[in-house]
Formats: sequence, structure tokens, C-alpha cells
Amino acid sequence: MDKIELHNTLPCVFKGRDIQSEIWLQDVTFQKGETYLVEANSGTGKSSLCSYIIGYRKDYLGNILFDDKDIRQHRVSDWTSIRQNSLSLLFQELRLFPELSALENVQIKNGLTNHKSLKEIEEWFQRLGIADKMSAKVGRMSFGQQQRVAMIRALVQPFDFLMVDEPISHLDDVNSAIMCDIMMEEACRQGAGVIVTSIGKHMDMSYDKTFRL
Amino acid sequence: MMSLVWKLLRQHISIAQFAGFFFANLFGMFIVLLGLQFYNDVKPLFSQEDGFLKPEYLIVSKRISGMSVLGAGESCSFSEKDVNDITSQPFCKSVGAFTASQYRVVCSLGVNGVAQMGTDMFFESVPDRYVDTDLSKWKFNPEEGVVPIVLPRTYLAIYNFGFAQSQSLPKISEGLVGMIDMVVVLRGNGQEQHLQGKVIGFSSRLNTILVPESFIKWSNAKFAPEADLTPNRLIVEVKNPTDDAIVKYINQHNLELENDKLDAGKATYFLRVVTVLVMCIGMLISILSFYILMLSIYLLVQKNTEKLRNLLLIGYSPVRVSLPYQLLTVGMNAVVLLLSFIILYMVRGYYMNTLWAMFPQMQDGSLLPAFCLGFCLFAVVSIINIIAVRNRVMKIWNRKE
Repeated sequence: MDKIELHNTLPCVFKGRDIQSEIWLQDVTFQKGETYLVEANSGTGKSSLCSYIIGYRKDYLGNILFDDKDIRQHRVSDWTSIRQNSLSLLFQELRLFPELSALENVQIKNGLTNHKSLKEIEEWFQRLGIADKMSAKVGRMSFGQQQRVAMIRALVQPFDFLMVDEPISHLDDVNSAIMCDIMMEEACRQGAGVIVTSIGKHMDMSYDKTFRL
Repeated sequence: MMSLVWKLLRQHISIAQFAGFFFANLFGMFIVLLGLQFYNDVKPLFSQEDGFLKPEYLIVSKRISGMSVLGAGESCSFSEKDVNDITSQPFCKSVGAFTASQYRVVCSLGVNGVAQMGTDMFFESVPDRYVDTDLSKWKFNPEEGVVPIVLPRTYLAIYNFGFAQSQSLPKISEGLVGMIDMVVVLRGNGQEQHLQGKVIGFSSRLNTILVPESFIKWSNAKFAPEADLTPNRLIVEVKNPTDDAIVKYINQHNLELENDKLDAGKATYFLRVVTVLVMCIGMLISILSFYILMLSIYLLVQKNTEKLRNLLLIGYSPVRVSLPYQLLTVGMNAVVLLLSFIILYMVRGYYMNTLWAMFPQMQDGSLLPAFCLGFCLFAVVSIINIIAVRNRVMKIWNRKE
């Protein structure tokens, strides 16, 4: 997948409102290999955007295209394949499994493609400072720790685009920087496009383009 | 990795609910299978097939009234016109006449060479094509002098329970008809001839002593050449024995159908009713248990909706997340099926021993119909389970949950 295009896209609930946005109701293209920042205020549809692109929700007007194909035409099997091999999303609400340990949460994803070895995963845990939490149940971890686990899980798959939805809202600057490094290392290795969203605090790095949602 | 998915999805499984389903289904399945098996095992005892007369053959005679006894009423025999009339009825396929012997017959019955019971009697024949037996046995050759005979089954009962009992003679089962010696003496037209009779079987539907057509033709020509051969009884082949038109016609023309509705027929009927009833109850239990299972699964999926949704969002296919629950239900169904078979086998062994003690001639039936029914139920229930789980997961995929 080389590009994601939005054509006149607008969440259904915003219909009729006066929208001043660089994403909604515009023609926007995200290219593979580029880095984007989507800045937003609360309630401007940032999580909706992520949900539309991951194929979770379809309550929007206009079109979203992956490589010129309207994603409304994707079938269940297409989405499964995209989520496994082309597009990874770090959900704002994380969507981890509290019953499983941190490592199991990563393994359950890695097992789909066996993209990363256990050693690589352990190294990431190490760098993010949560190596001692690997076998702890995610439900017992702080949100900031969970965010780091979720980031690792988002990285253990092949992808052309990585979307991270407010990835550092509960992290200090040091951990934000480490997470940013790890993320960009993996994205560069895969030659992937990165879309970061933020409502204020955002990863401190150079973006190819910034959108105001 | 599948074990991780299972670790996740087994959350909220209620052992009590599944145990409830398991035992209820086991019970229901067992009752259904036992009903069928018992019916199959016991049915042959009630419905001994009549090997000599197909069910589509009806035996028709004229009703005997007081007047005909005195010779003043209608004749008891069928004229050619009567026969043609029956033949022309839409329910009728063909008509054959009973031909009676017109000379004197004395017959003595014995066992193992000792003559024991002698009586005057008569013979009748129907056209050979109405006799449903091996036709090579069903012929008479004057040079051999052996007459094949079919006796009414009641004769056997008369012999076994009346005669043999009082004379301390051995009882004869149907399989041992060869033991019956029958000497037949034919007299008429100034001649007498001794022949050997050979009982080849018994019929519950024929109230006559049946011999081959060729024998009656030969003997009537020899011993009673001038006799009148108008038949008293007809054998009618009908298209459908349950056709109402037959009864209507019979009543209109003052005819009589020879009663072949034996008590065994009634017993079979009641057996069937009881079996169906028992199987219905078993089925009902099965359906209710199936309902419990579906509710449990729905509840489980409901409770684990968030987990299932997250699995789908991180790239698991609906097929893959449905699989653990599908395997769970199908596995339980399979165990239920297996256990039902085992219990059925044991229970059947128990009652078959009792039945054998009561009816030594009973043949060992097959468990196959019950197995087939069990497999069919298993397959149907499993397929519905698989589809239901899949539909539930697709609802989550489509965000309807």
C-alpha cells in the first residue's frame, strides 16, 4: 500500500456544521515513507479518523482510498490482511487485553505474522524501561506503562503505514523520546509512512507535513 | 498463539451452564437413540412379514347371509360378470380367483413318521403369480407326488398349544416345518390316490390351505372332472390398499374383506405410538439443551465482546476468533454423542438379554440406524452451532453488538 487518500471525507455527525479543517472535506494524501502530524482539538474527530482508516467505522461521507481503491469495497478478508500486513494502529484507548501479561499482549499480535523475534521484543521492553513488567498483567499496569506496551504491539507486524493516536499522552519527555526513536527506527526499516495525532503534546521530531484537523 | 487466544476467550466460560447443557443433551440424545433402537429391536416380534401374500393383495368374498345358507338368497360364488365388474374398478390392478378342490381330501398330520391327527379337509389355489415365494418350490409334479402346502399360521398354534400339549408331543417352530409329515389322500371319480404333503410355510393372512394352481388343475381334472369351478373367493391386487374407494365398493356390493388386521398389527401400532412419543420427549430435551447451549454461547460472546472486537481490530480474522468457541461446542457435542452410544450399547445389552430369554427366535438387530440418527443429530446441531457462533462474531465485526 503506497498511499492513503481522503476525498471530501466528513464524519456523518459533522454534517451541516461549519467545518474549518485541513482534513475534513479536503482532498488529502498520505504517502508511504513520509511522516505526518495531525493536530486537533478535542471533539474534532481525531479518533473517528483513525477508526475510519482502520476499517472499524464507516459513518463518514465522502471517500477514503487505499491505493486508489475505495475502502468501502474492502471485504472482511481484505481488512484482515490489511490489518496484519499493511496498516498498524496504536489506539488511543490502547485496546490491550488486561487478562494477559504485557509480553502475551505483544505475542498475541506477533503470532499472526511472526514478524519479530522474542529477543527483539525483549530489547524494546528493555529500552522502554518496562522489562520488569513483561510478565505482569496489563490490567495492573499504569496507563503510561500500558501505552508503551501498546506501542510495542503496534510495531510487531509488517506495515506500510503506522498510525499512532496520541501515543505519549501519559509519558514523560524522556520516555516519549525513547518511544519516538523506537517507532521511527522500525518505520524507517520498513519504509513506512507514519501518521501521528495529538491534542497538544506531540512527539518531538521532524514531520514532513502537519495538518490541522 | 492459539493458546493465547484461548486463554483470552475462555474467560467467562460458565462451567455450570456447560455442564447443564452437557447432561441435558446427553439425556435427550440417549432417549432419542434408545427409542429408535428399542423400536427396531422389538418390531420384528410384532410384525412377522407374511411371505406368501403381498399387502397389496386383498381377499374378497361374498357376505354370507341367513338366506344364502338356506339356498334361497344370492349365490355365494362370483359370476364372470362380478369378476369383470371388480376388474374394471379404478383401484384394481388385477383379479385372480381362488379355485377350490372339488373332491374329498383326507389328510393326516404327524411328526417324525408317527401319524397323529387326521381330518377331512380341502385345498384351494390362487394363480401362481399372486404367491410371493420361491416359485421353484411352488409347483406340483404328478410323478413325484409331493404337494407343497401353505397353512394358516393359526394351525401351528392349534397344533402347538392344543394338540401337542395334550399329547405330550414336541412343539414345532416355524423353522422346523420340515418335521411335519403330511399324508394326503384324494378320493373322487371312483379313484383314490395317496400323496405326500410338504408344508413350506405359514401365512397369517390366508384362511385357507393353499396349494399350487397346477396341482388343483391336475387333481380336479382327475378326481372331479364335471365339477363347477365358479370361485367363492377372489384375490384382488389393488394399487393402494388404504384407498377409501375399496371399502366403499366392498360395502356397496355386499362383499367382505378377509380380516387381516391381526392383533400384532395393533400392537405394532401402539409400539410405534409409544416409541414416537418417547423419541419426541427425548427430542424435546435435546432441543431444550441445545437452547441452553446457544444461550450460554451467546452470553459468553456477549461477555467477551470487547476481547473479540480487539482481536479483530489487531488483525485476527472472524474465522480465527470464532474457531475456539466452535471447537468447544462441536467437541462437547461429539463427547455427548460418544457417551450416548456407549450408554445405549450397555442398556441395549441389558434389555436384549431379557428379550432373548423371552423370545429365543429373535434375531440380533443392528445398531446402525441409531448410529446414523445420532450422527445426523450431531451434524445438524454442530452445523447450527458453528453458524451461530460465526454470526455472532460477524455482528461484532459489523459493530452491531
